Amino acid sequence: MTTLDLMTSRKPDSSLRLRVLGKIGEQKPYNCYQCIRCTSGCPSMKMLELKPHEIVALTRAGFIEELINSGVLWACATCLKCKERCPQAVAPVDLIMALRNLAVEKEVKVPESFLHNVSMILECGFVSRPQATVTRKLEKIERDKMGLPKFREPDEKFKAAFMKALETSSGSSEKS
Amino acid sequence: MTVYWGCVVPTIQYAYEMSVREVMPRLGVELVELENASCCGTPVQSVNMFAALYLAARNLAVAERTGLNDLLVVCNGCHLSLSEALYFMKHNEQLREKVEALLNEEDLTYSGSVKLWHLIDFLHDVVGEKTIKNAVKKPLSGLKLASHYGCHILRPSTLRTVDDPENPRKLDELIDWLGAKSVPYPEKLDCCGAMLLLSHPDAAFTFSGLKMKAVQDWGADALVVSCPSCQNMFDMRQKSAAATTGAKINLPVLYYTQLLGLAMGIQQEKLGLNLNRSPIDELLQKAPAH
Repeated sequence: MTTLDLMTSRKPDSSLRLRVLGKIGEQKPYNCYQCIRCTSGCPSMKMLELKPHEIVALTRAGFIEELINSGVLWACATCLKCKERCPQAVAPVDLIMALRNLAVEKEVKVPESFLHNVSMILECGFVSRPQATVTRKLEKIERDKMGLPKFREPDEKFKAAFMKALETSSGSSEKS
Repeated sequence: MTVYWGCVVPTIQYAYEMSVREVMPRLGVELVELENASCCGTPVQSVNMFAALYLAARNLAVAERTGLNDLLVVCNGCHLSLSEALYFMKHNEQLREKVEALLNEEDLTYSGSVKLWHLIDFLHDVVGEKTIKNAVKKPLSGLKLASHYGCHILRPSTLRTVDDPENPRKLDELIDWLGAKSVPYPEKLDCCGAMLLLSHPDAAFTFSGLKMKAVQDWGADALVVSCPSCQNMFDMRQKSAAATTGAKINLPVLYYTQLLGLAMGIQQEKLGLNLNRSPIDELLQKAPAH
């Protein structure tokens, strides 16, 4: 998974960089001094070559299109270790989320299941309705056979409000 | 106190809901259901962070309407999402105004009065050692159990979290209070991989497989979890993890509340112990609670 090929990359894009930084509401990535503590503790580094410090550096350099198109953003497991351990409070995971949001806005390389979740929430308020499951002895069983209360979906007004929330661009969400 | 179940628990991880509903009243905790709750927002974060925040804040507003301050959350993802919302609604006026305008359309109001608890720190800090030890009728002596906290209740420590981010102890102490022994192991903080299922399932199962292999190698009888997404990875999809990593994995995986219920002498079927997909039968026979 190559994030950046210097031979083919375009010029840095400062307006896209502003858009990404706007989503985390601040200039935090500029505090990064590339100590690589994030990457050395990143479980997705071992498995999928995710390098959080590189994502921070590439954002600063303005290679936003390259980051979004590489697909590397979807290798993050959101374990939050990078956010916890960064000595400069940069929180690479927040930057990755902002870049994912931008990828959605620009309709590039978004794994379909993420969008499916959103449409399910629009439909019934949750990512799923109660599903049948099987016991260890492989007997099929439904929620209403387990003595649990009835599953309730949110009120009718929920849909319109959530729809409006989705139409609101994620900006200035100053991250903790 | 009010209880928020989230998406995963009431739609597929039924054993968690069943066991929580069994143990809490017996420990003197009355659970009040939320009406009009929705998803917590975590699954929407990657798509639109604002929409995710809205979902979290609206659930807090729904909880406020009951007039009760303490809110029990059983899922780690939900705990993080609500914890973030509490932070933003307090510290970011611009975001708060945007959220409040939408809440208004749902006839909801937000004041910030909710006190958030995850099952683990509520049991540890509020219910406490004395009450839990008194409730244990059949101690799980002789069992060596490995704890898995899950990432989202431990980090980031800039928000409300449940325990120390690098050296958590509460779930281990809760295990010890049942008469069992929590075993230390270096992979304790390793992630289950659940959040990679949608984009990189093979990597996700490698995360869970390697952790379970390590837990087995350290001689634990079972893995104890408190998050429905982690349970999905370790219990329901244990075979996928074994197939992906090529490791021989035969690890019983249970919710803490299932073990607590067993130790309290509650019937197995009431705790959903027939729903665990991992091989727990031998463990149930070994446990003195049987």
